[in-house]
Amino acid sequence: MPDRALEGVKVLDLTHHISGPYCTKLLADFGAEVLKIERPGGDPTRRMAPFLNDEVDPEKSLVFAYLNTNKQSVTLNLKSAKGIQVLKSLVEQSDVLVENFAPRVMASLGLDFEALQQINPSLVMTSISNFGQTGPYRDYKAADIVEYAMGGLMYISGAYDREPLKHAFNQAQFKAGTDAASATLMAMYHQRLTGEGQQVDVSIQEAVATGLRDVVNNFTYTGAVRRRQPNHSGDLSRIRASADGHLTPNPGIGAGLNWDVLVEFMELPELADDKFNTPSARLANAEELGQIFDDYFINQNKYERFYAAHEKRFIFGVIQSPEEVMADPQFEARNYFVDIDHPVLGTLKYPGAPFEMSGTPWDARNPAPTLGQHNVKIFGQRLGHTPEQLVQFRATQII
Amino acid sequence: MPGPLEGVRIIEMGQLIAIPFAMKMLADMGAQVIRLESTGRLESYRADSVYQNDVSGEFWNKGANFYEQNRNKLGVTLDLSKPEGLQILKDLVSVADVFSENFTPRVIKNFGLEYEDLKKIKPDIIMVSSTGYGFYGPWANFGATGPATEGAAGLAYQTGYLGGEPVMAEIPYTDYTSGEHTVFAVMTALMHRLRTGEGQFVDISQTQATSSTIPEILMDFSANGRTGPRMGNQDSVMSPQGCYPCRGDDRWLTMAVATDEEWQAVCRVLGQDGWASDSRFEDSLSRWQNRDELDALIGPVTSSWDAHELMHALQKEGVAAGAVLDSKDLLFDPHLVERDFYEVLSHQDSTGIPPLPYASRPWKLSKTPAVKGKAAPLMGEHNSLILSELLGKTTGDVAALEEAGIIGYGPSDPRPVRRPSLDEQVRQGRMQRYETDFEEQVRRAFPG
Repeated sequence: MPDRALEGVKVLDLTHHISGPYCTKLLADFGAEVLKIERPGGDPTRRMAPFLNDEVDPEKSLVFAYLNTNKQSVTLNLKSAKGIQVLKSLVEQSDVLVENFAPRVMASLGLDFEALQQINPSLVMTSISNFGQTGPYRDYKAADIVEYAMGGLMYISGAYDREPLKHAFNQAQFKAGTDAASATLMAMYHQRLTGEGQQVDVSIQEAVATGLRDVVNNFTYTGAVRRRQPNHSGDLSRIRASADGHLTPNPGIGAGLNWDVLVEFMELPELADDKFNTPSARLANAEELGQIFDDYFINQNKYERFYAAHEKRFIFGVIQSPEEVMADPQFEARNYFVDIDHPVLGTLKYPGAPFEMSGTPWDARNPAPTLGQHNVKIFGQRLGHTPEQLVQFRATQII
Repeated sequence: MPGPLEGVRIIEMGQLIAIPFAMKMLADMGAQVIRLESTGRLESYRADSVYQNDVSGEFWNKGANFYEQNRNKLGVTLDLSKPEGLQILKDLVSVADVFSENFTPRVIKNFGLEYEDLKKIKPDIIMVSSTGYGFYGPWANFGATGPATEGAAGLAYQTGYLGGEPVMAEIPYTDYTSGEHTVFAVMTALMHRLRTGEGQFVDISQTQATSSTIPEILMDFSANGRTGPRMGNQDSVMSPQGCYPCRGDDRWLTMAVATDEEWQAVCRVLGQDGWASDSRFEDSLSRWQNRDELDALIGPVTSSWDAHELMHALQKEGVAAGAVLDSKDLLFDPHLVERDFYEVLSHQDSTGIPPLPYASRPWKLSKTPAVKGKAAPLMGEHNSLILSELLGKTTGDVAALEEAGIIGYGPSDPRPVRRPSLDEQVRQGRMQRYETDFEEQVRRAFPG
């Protein structure tokens, strides 16, 4: 069996929905031992579409199946004293606790960091929340669209003359989940060196606000407020329609671009003009240039231009549909999509490793757990509760 | 106080965002990051978006995005096309923990800087390569920027207005997505090395990292063979969810309503008793089915509200709502300011740039916080320091290296990008407005 990078890191996962589960998925997929604590009704993501064949079933949510690979699941009612007691005994055996409840919840359960640290002084406790654990908006609610708005990405996204537009689905949550996984390992690195635990506060709003360009610094450097860009902004990497889809015909960055080569490549002699042949000139004549690009690409085939451009070392990009993504020869060569066999979903292709490590492979050793799949193993074998006690736990709705 | 990564040394051969952003985050947390640059091939962020759009003098030390992505790093220039330059890089690797770069594999192979090469110099080195499509495979040598990988990953295809064409972010969005994964990857490799003493090669595909964040799209296709429509700002379950106009020029509010209680609160706050009792909107399913009608009703009502006032009013009643913050709102946002999200960094006097606030990090570690921030290096600022302290070069050696053009303090071909005037940028629509007293506003809010 290959060594996994995070072998030996024990994670108690109290998360639900997306940001927290993505954080603990990253940890689990690289080898951490992740124990997912679900409320007796299950993580709400189990009820999130899309489902396999549209069958609404807690074991058939495709997003849940993706987000919870390599984890074990137990159910536990944290609103009962016994449930809290059981949880605390699991805290004793863990390196990390990750949660993404609203900021007041853990404290209301008597599970604030101070209390947990008394049980386990080397515990790293990572909390992910909409706006962080402090500050005037800490109790504000949010959905992904609200995080886009409050993180500064929304205002600059979309058409110049329409309402701002967010990315599809749940990008803000994924960003925060990734950041939380990084920050957790920073704290774990310190814990492994010194034995000292600590608290990690991750804000989804700040995860969005750290990933911007030309927004805040446009104001601090020039006083300008950047708006959603008009179609003809002089940015040659903008999306253009082709005859069969869309592409981003970026000829190159900065000094690396030889304009004459591009003019020849596009067979458009009118571009060989002082109006366009330097970055500064292109910005000054952005509207005219944008129109020429639009008129040209609408008659082209996207993949033909994409491959031809890369022979000239231009950095064209192609907009791929989900079907095209899954047939992408690059992904195929890298075995990005992996087959995972799940007891209810059967074998499906999942997005795989976000990056590759030569010495410690990413692997999908286990599918997402069914609800409470590991109750007996964890509560019985690990914590030593008898079968009778487990029946009693179940009867009193503790698990 | 040292950050948690004190003692980790990183040699960075980065450009633009993907690697520089990730290494900045590690530098913030205490790693020593030595950023290598070429004087012959000027990093474009050094030469663009300069302070006050003033490209006179040493403009290469005034670029906004260079400062944004390179704080807390040490700066060394090296001409890698000369054998002595390349040797210095290898000497630095021999005393480093991590080597990171984001060039195409072709460039790295030409320099002889692949993992197998570096491993001979430093057996436990961690090498991190970030490329558009991954270090091997038929597209490995295809150069890419954010838009290319946002398109390749499948994210852009699904994003767009209802019934409209694909839309992508107007920033190199996937540089950040992959950069965030790069921070995690480096930490994962460091954890492994701490336990085993082993280094390894980390191959980051910016496309793969991005595709890993859209299971809603890719799993639906994989399992059901389905490609859903572009949904604009609408959600697949919640309604209303959208971005609605508010009072003023280009002001907006977002909200997302999940439950009946929240919907009743929206009706109350907006003073719309009729909506509250309208059977078309009585439960979440009917609201979702009639979501287009609902959106059409809400916009005209919100447009008389101030976006921030409406946000606070709705949040007070338990509704997820947020004003759409423009760059100025974001900078002065009272919540972010209260959380010390912005960090004021001083610049070298020679740049003429006053102390300025920069976005910090999305995490706070209670016991091992970030190091005290230092602005990005001037070009070649730490040439002497690094060459003498780390590699034992004498003052004479350093002078000889400068003489030979191996190191330098400015670009060999200084050409800035000249931006049109702000008036022209407003006319073209790139900027919504500009404020001439911005320096005073920034100084007042962030006295440093």
